[in-house]
Amino acid sequence: MYATYTFVQVTEYVDKDFIDIVLSKTQRKTPTVVHKQYKISRIRQFYMRKVKFAQQTFHDKLSTILTDFPKLDDIHPFYADLMNVLYDKDHYKLALGQINIALHLIDNVSKDYVRLLKYGDSLYRCKQLKKAALGRMATIMKRQAQSLQYLEQVRQHLSRLPSIDPNTRTLLICGFPNVGKSSFINKITRADVEVQPYAFTTKSLFVGHTDHRYLRWQVVDTPGILDHPLENRNTIEMQAIAALAHLRAAILYVMDISEQCGHTIEQQVALFDSIKPLFANKPLLVVLNKTDVIRLEELKPEQKTLIQNFINDDIPVMEMSTLSEEGVMNVKTEACERLLAHRIEVKIKSKKVEGILNRLHVAVPKPRDGFSRPAFVPESVIKQRLEKAPKIKKKTERDLEVELEDDYSLDLKKNYDLPADFKYDVIPEFWEGKNIADYIDPDIMAKLEELEREEELRIESGVYDKEEEEMDEEEKEIHRLADKIREKKAIIAIESRIGRSGGAPVMPRAGRKRERSVSRLRTEFEELGVDMSNKKGAHFARTKSRSTSRPPIKKARADSAGRVSSSSRVTPRDQSGIRNVQLKAKAKKMSHKSQGKMNQFGKAGEADRHIAVKMPKHLFSGKRGIGKTDRR
Amino acid sequence: MPQNEHIELFQKRYGFRMDYQERQRKKKAREHKLQSKMAQKLIGIKGKIFAKRRYSEKVQLKRTIKAHEEKKTRKKDEGKVPEGAMPAYLLDRENTSQAKLLSSMVKQKRKEKAGKWDVPLPKVRAQSEAEVFRVLKTGKSGRKGWKRLVTKVCFVGEGFTRKPPKYERFVRPMALRFKKAHVTHPELKATFCLPIVGVKKNPSSPMYTSLGVITKGTIIEVNVSELGLVTQGGKVVWGKYAQVTNNPENDGCINAILLV
Repeated sequence: MYATYTFVQVTEYVDKDFIDIVLSKTQRKTPTVVHKQYKISRIRQFYMRKVKFAQQTFHDKLSTILTDFPKLDDIHPFYADLMNVLYDKDHYKLALGQINIALHLIDNVSKDYVRLLKYGDSLYRCKQLKKAALGRMATIMKRQAQSLQYLEQVRQHLSRLPSIDPNTRTLLICGFPNVGKSSFINKITRADVEVQPYAFTTKSLFVGHTDHRYLRWQVVDTPGILDHPLENRNTIEMQAIAALAHLRAAILYVMDISEQCGHTIEQQVALFDSIKPLFANKPLLVVLNKTDVIRLEELKPEQKTLIQNFINDDIPVMEMSTLSEEGVMNVKTEACERLLAHRIEVKIKSKKVEGILNRLHVAVPKPRDGFSRPAFVPESVIKQRLEKAPKIKKKTERDLEVELEDDYSLDLKKNYDLPADFKYDVIPEFWEGKNIADYIDPDIMAKLEELEREEELRIESGVYDKEEEEMDEEEKEIHRLADKIREKKAIIAIESRIGRSGGAPVMPRAGRKRERSVSRLRTEFEELGVDMSNKKGAHFARTKSRSTSRPPIKKARADSAGRVSSSSRVTPRDQSGIRNVQLKAKAKKMSHKSQGKMNQFGKAGEADRHIAVKMPKHLFSGKRGIGKTDRR
Repeated sequence: MPQNEHIELFQKRYGFRMDYQERQRKKKAREHKLQSKMAQKLIGIKGKIFAKRRYSEKVQLKRTIKAHEEKKTRKKDEGKVPEGAMPAYLLDRENTSQAKLLSSMVKQKRKEKAGKWDVPLPKVRAQSEAEVFRVLKTGKSGRKGWKRLVTKVCFVGEGFTRKPPKYERFVRPMALRFKKAHVTHPELKATFCLPIVGVKKNPSSPMYTSLGVITKGTIIEVNVSELGLVTQGGKVVWGKYAQVTNNPENDGCINAILLV
């Protein structure tokens, strides 16, 4: 349902025994026995197979590593930046580049040695060459040990990164260390972030999810940031900066007005000013935390003016206390509302909104006259409502539950209309061979008799009789014909399966009599029962028969393309089934194209001359019966 | 979902099992049994690999034990005499005499005349023609056998073009043509991959030299401009001789030692 942004798909576990695994696999998966009296081609093939297998295995493993690791250019810029902060983009790219180089080198080694193996003329030589090839591949891999170690660490860390969706509704919490960001996220979501009194407890980004207005919201907790220039920031702070820079989220800048975090309000405001450029185009909310210790009103006037500056700049300021939980929900609601409004605004400004707005139509009933008719409640009713005493609310089970807390248990039998000692008795199901449920109602026998009487009446009147469909003559005829058709189809299918009609010699196409003729059409349809006497309304044309009155004029019959043919009784094969000239040209082109490659390579096809035996024995050996054998 | 260091966080919050430490200790104590079982059971290539690894581990163990033991014992300090040190009463003497100088000069001259060079591999096994060449059958029914296929690694120059196939007697396949050699400098103990300029002499036969066949013991000339050597007079050395030290047709590469 939600797109999970995780990098867990890197599967290849890079081991230090990489080389051993591949070499032992080569030994197990290829044939192991070869003797020196085998044919040299067989020996060569044996060793070439080993070299190629080892190369293939290395290649497969290294290429899965290369494809599984995410490319920094293909992922969302937030993740690209985060990975740069955590793993150093250059080091990462270099390590993958080294692996790529190793891959190509191994391929080249294999190619060279397979080429050399073709000229190996003894088992010893082939074996030495195979040993040299495998040894070289192993040396190449040994040099990559450092890169592989680094990539393994990256893989492990990557699989545990929090899955933050950069495109959905997000609340981002930032501020100094120890101001109460993690406590806040613990309060509104189920994320269990560690809260401790020392600074930099949270060392990386954490994500939690909360609900508001039936929508899912992501809440991202960042490590605290200190106030110094960007170059001096360490890895932990840079993660927070990366999140601030790339996530389009509502920002909650948390401040500690009790100054228990170890930084004064002036310092916190100074930090706010220094990271202000990162808050551009994002809904911002300043949250004053730890109000259980000191409230906004109790602050010194200088500090109050600083906070007042925020309000003057149109940035909403809210108070809360994560310890006593007052104001936490209000802050969350306010932030969510602001973000929602902002997102809707952005969507309206985008181009896609036109498509949606065109489909929306709010229907308002047309006023039939200019008379306005607002809602009307008579005065007396209003007075009555105010005077009426408020109804005594019945005490609900929920209220009881809240009151009793742990001691509460749901007891549905307490309101039964029975004397107290019978209320909680268990009701048995059977008694003396009869169901108790049958005797609950005193009138049950009377009711049963009535029901039975009704049922008898119904059966008599024929409500349950099945209706016989009356078919008229036409329908009967149709049914009969349909049966006939089905029968004939079945017969044809069975005959073709048995092949009874096959085996008989077939006349070639050109020699066959005209198949599609009007007379044949007529006879077949009349057999089926269709009336064919109506010539006028017919869509088929009878061919003009040669009459004796007119002398036959010998004319060269040319077809649409202007080609003359002597006798065209049967359509030639390359024209049958083609409607017009364009289609014919296309068909010709397609046939040329498909044959082109075959012709170009000049490979022997079925129609080419093929000499089975190039050197028949009787021509190249033996004495001649008569004559000399100085020529063969 | 588990985020970041959730395992460590869990351990911090809820601690370990009651018997966790004991189980770890016992598992470690049983490790030697596992090792001995594997050492007995593993056979074949896996056994060899395991044995090799185990051997190197044992060597390390023994070394550390010895190092520990050395600290405890004390050794007598034997006064070591540095090499090339002379006793005081011999200090002022000239060690070489005139006669010796003369005789060494004469020997040098004689060597130069004979053309005997001091090479790392003075003697190599001679390769017969049957080893180096293989008969290629040609003709209508494969009855002519005057062509020969070279089965050893060879070097052909840069502008090499074959003779017309009908007339070429010695076929040197492209797979066996090499252009580079791995040359080791004997003093620096460093190896470089240098391009071959030509084959100077093949000890088995002058025919092989003219064909460019490279076998063990062949003297080849390599392009050493990469090393940046300079003569006394200030000229840059770009070609030097090297002697091949391996069987290139078995290893797929040419390894040579530079003759300085």
